[in-house]
Amino acid sequence: MPRPVEKLVSLTINGNEVQAPAGMMLADAALKYGDVEIPVFCYDAKIGPPVGACRMCLVEIEGIPKMQAGCSVAVTDGMVVHTDTPTVKAAQEAVLEFILINHPLDCPVCDKGGECPLQDNAFGWGGGLSRFIEPKRHFEKPLALSPLIAIDRERCILCYRCVRYSQEVAEDFQLVLEERGADTFVTTFDGHPYVAPFSGNIIELCPVGALTSRPYRFRARPWDIEQAGSVCTLCPAQCNVSFSVRDERVLRVLGRDHEGVDDGWLCDKGRFAYQAIHVDQRITAPMLRDGGQLRPVTWEIAIEAAANLLSHAGANTGALVGGETTNEEGVLLTHLMRETLGSHDLDSRPGGALELELLRALNAPTLQASVPDLQYAHAVLVLDCEPVDDAPILDLRLRKGVRHHGVKLLIGSSRPSALDERAAHSARFAPGCGEAFAAALGAELAGQPSASLAEAAGADPADVVALATELREAGEEVVILWGERLTAGPRRNEGARALLNLAQELGLDGQDGGGLLEIPSGTNSRGLREVGVLPNASIGLGDAATVGRDSEQIGEALAAGDLSAVILLHSDPLLDQPSSALWQRALGKASAVIAHAAFLTPAVLEHANVVFPAESYAEKEGTVVHPDSRVQRLRRSIARQGETRAEWALLAELAARIGNDPKALTCSMVSARIFEQVPFYAGLSLDLIGGVGIRWSEREAAASFPAAPAAPFTLDPPPAAASPNGLLRLGSFRSIWASPDVEASPALAFLHPRQRVELSPADAERLGIAHGENVTVASNGDSVTGLAHIRAAAPDGTVFLQTSIPEGSAALLEGPLVEVKRS
Amino acid sequence: MAWDPEKDVIEVIRGPQKAGGAGGLYRAFGETLRGLKTTFGQLRMGVDTIQYPEQKIPVYPRFRGRHQLHRFEDTGLEKCVGCSLCAAACPSDCIRVVAAENTPEHRVSAGERYAAVYEINLSRCIFCGYCEVACPFDAITMGHEFELSDANRSDLIFTKEMLLAEPIERTPLRAEGE
Repeated sequence: MPRPVEKLVSLTINGNEVQAPAGMMLADAALKYGDVEIPVFCYDAKIGPPVGACRMCLVEIEGIPKMQAGCSVAVTDGMVVHTDTPTVKAAQEAVLEFILINHPLDCPVCDKGGECPLQDNAFGWGGGLSRFIEPKRHFEKPLALSPLIAIDRERCILCYRCVRYSQEVAEDFQLVLEERGADTFVTTFDGHPYVAPFSGNIIELCPVGALTSRPYRFRARPWDIEQAGSVCTLCPAQCNVSFSVRDERVLRVLGRDHEGVDDGWLCDKGRFAYQAIHVDQRITAPMLRDGGQLRPVTWEIAIEAAANLLSHAGANTGALVGGETTNEEGVLLTHLMRETLGSHDLDSRPGGALELELLRALNAPTLQASVPDLQYAHAVLVLDCEPVDDAPILDLRLRKGVRHHGVKLLIGSSRPSALDERAAHSARFAPGCGEAFAAALGAELAGQPSASLAEAAGADPADVVALATELREAGEEVVILWGERLTAGPRRNEGARALLNLAQELGLDGQDGGGLLEIPSGTNSRGLREVGVLPNASIGLGDAATVGRDSEQIGEALAAGDLSAVILLHSDPLLDQPSSALWQRALGKASAVIAHAAFLTPAVLEHANVVFPAESYAEKEGTVVHPDSRVQRLRRSIARQGETRAEWALLAELAARIGNDPKALTCSMVSARIFEQVPFYAGLSLDLIGGVGIRWSEREAAASFPAAPAAPFTLDPPPAAASPNGLLRLGSFRSIWASPDVEASPALAFLHPRQRVELSPADAERLGIAHGENVTVASNGDSVTGLAHIRAAAPDGTVFLQTSIPEGSAALLEGPLVEVKRS
Repeated sequence: MAWDPEKDVIEVIRGPQKAGGAGGLYRAFGETLRGLKTTFGQLRMGVDTIQYPEQKIPVYPRFRGRHQLHRFEDTGLEKCVGCSLCAAACPSDCIRVVAAENTPEHRVSAGERYAAVYEINLSRCIFCGYCEVACPFDAITMGHEFELSDANRSDLIFTKEMLLAEPIERTPLRAEGE
């Protein structure tokens, strides 16, 4: 459904003429356009339609004899509203007195105290006296609603916010209200812990202290802390967050409502993984391998050692750049590699480079969809990605689009998606066959035979026809939300071509409200590509003077001895790269491994010669680029912990020691240089980016984006998906919780995944495997073990394993077929 | 402009150069005796000086001296629940409270939380008493002690243990009607 057209109506609030968009709720309109506050508890526009449960917002509307709830009355033309009459005042006082009947007076011990809407409303609108002398209701308190959330039912005012959030926003349907009347309480079914990817949002939603964060419990009061706005860089969704800082420690993370990015929500990883900043196992001092052991050393020794190793290796140095790298660090690394060491072997894409032409075509500003487009498009095709794992907050946006804006959600993925039940149609294909599936869909849309392509993808041809029909009938605003997985692997270029053909068939080029939206593998993957951290591109996606090796070739060259040193900038190839075996060999052979890391992940622990402490995202400054082309700014919120130093300065220092000073004195100097050198960033500045970021694809400078070849491309027929033939196809996925930060955060550690083997019930029965049993998955002599997880929605003939976990990752196995048996 | 030493004249006004005569005699003794009259005149007034620290002025009951934290007399639990309202009220920002949660094994205060750290920087405190007013549990009061000097600034940061300890009564309290 396209964006609603705003039609203004005029109404009178307390005697003042006010213009507001039709359909807006009175409480919102009064505050936003009339500068009149109508107090509310249960209403929040973010949660969806109002329920009018708390009656706090009663107002008088002329022509209606009784008072109306301001949160659930839409503004209409000519409405005359009074919010300050004695009747309204009396109602507000009565409602507050009523709400406070059962509310305990434990504000001094309550974590909400000082930032509590109930306190504010009672102070601002209440009568100040209570006639209630009877005993208040009592519950056991505080109880753990989950390991992350404490619930205090005595404080609950039954506004339904959390329950509505669970039912209508996150749609996990876990929170319910039990009992009736004054005995009502919020709980989960059967008292199970409320564990969900987005559970933490109810802490921020609760207007009283009934739901509080357990990691933040009693850590600070609102006047002890300072809020510092920045961007979360734990996943590509790059939600805008605000850190609560006390004594140079991040104590909690709150959402910084941004309609264009996160819609005001955060996932639990973003909300609680801040703890990893302040744990003992974080690397906060440089380390040097000495006698097989990493030992902390002084900065001088570490920098000298790294500079010596690098100048010794010279052009035989490779570099892998992880997604948490900022643009500034990326640019300084390319300076270190290309201009200082003379090596062109650097890559930020795991699993090999994409042809530059195709990369330009995929990132073209005319083809770019934005995050709000997901919510307003006619149809959204989720292609080869799982939003809840890859960019969690987009999952909520899609659910909102389906629920409130009639978006037709279509899914084409190999692994069953959490969004399947909200989808108009979802299709499955064999793991790694996204290319064939996209080609089949493109062919079907073009009116060509698609059945053979669908079969090559391991998909049901009827599914492809159904998806194509839905796409054709939906309307012109179509967003394809695609995962980087589609353009990874040996046939990555073909995958990109098939996707571009599909976009061409749907007429997405230049389509307002539609286009492509990538979920890259790394947080700042898009920015790193745009500043030229690729083997085949220079800054601004320009042609590279010399094409270097891509990530896969770097691994092979290291293993073959053609490269001798490697820089791992926030990257652990044993976790991020598709093949662990190759990188085990490569790192074992490398004579120098220089890592920038926050934690001793496997590659760092076993292979790094010099380890520099990586800044956490609360300590970093720089810019990152959201997958929808929004350039955002990271700001330093706390002092760097331990001996950690600014990494941009370290990269500049390394280049200077080797003999080519980049002359970067401040980080903003490097930012300015980027804005100057990337043609389509022209005219940007840190001030312009500000707190909300700016989408470069919407600016005039986007016209200078390098020209890309136009679809349609002729496609190379894709190879058929491997037939299981008694074995199972290997599919892999990266869980939202698979991250060193989650593992290191004490509160989240219970969520850090262990390997689990997802099987369909039919396959499990055939193999004699029961849910929860230990199973071994083997191929070519390599094997991993995990717990069997039988999932009804899983397609037959396929087994799904997790990657990016330190032990037993799917990257240890070589597909496409694996053997699964009980161990 | 260059400095010309010739032009730099300092004028000194002096008294009469020659002593002697009746005027000289008056100047020598008369003025001195006039001054001594005031001095000896004060002798009969008695002594008003308090011989501090041997002698002390008793303080009024509402005198705002060094803070004290209190415990419940019956249970021995701390009254402070670490709500930090004193820190919020403090105009000189000299109170620091870090709260923690009581557990059944380790119960410090009567509420859910207690002050794990409670520090008052007395070198900053202006003894306004707002903390006492803000406290919802009467856990902090202003005592009568004012002898707080120390050789080291950091020794003037009073910790919870120091504030909870029974103060040494160094200062007499003014009795009723005194």
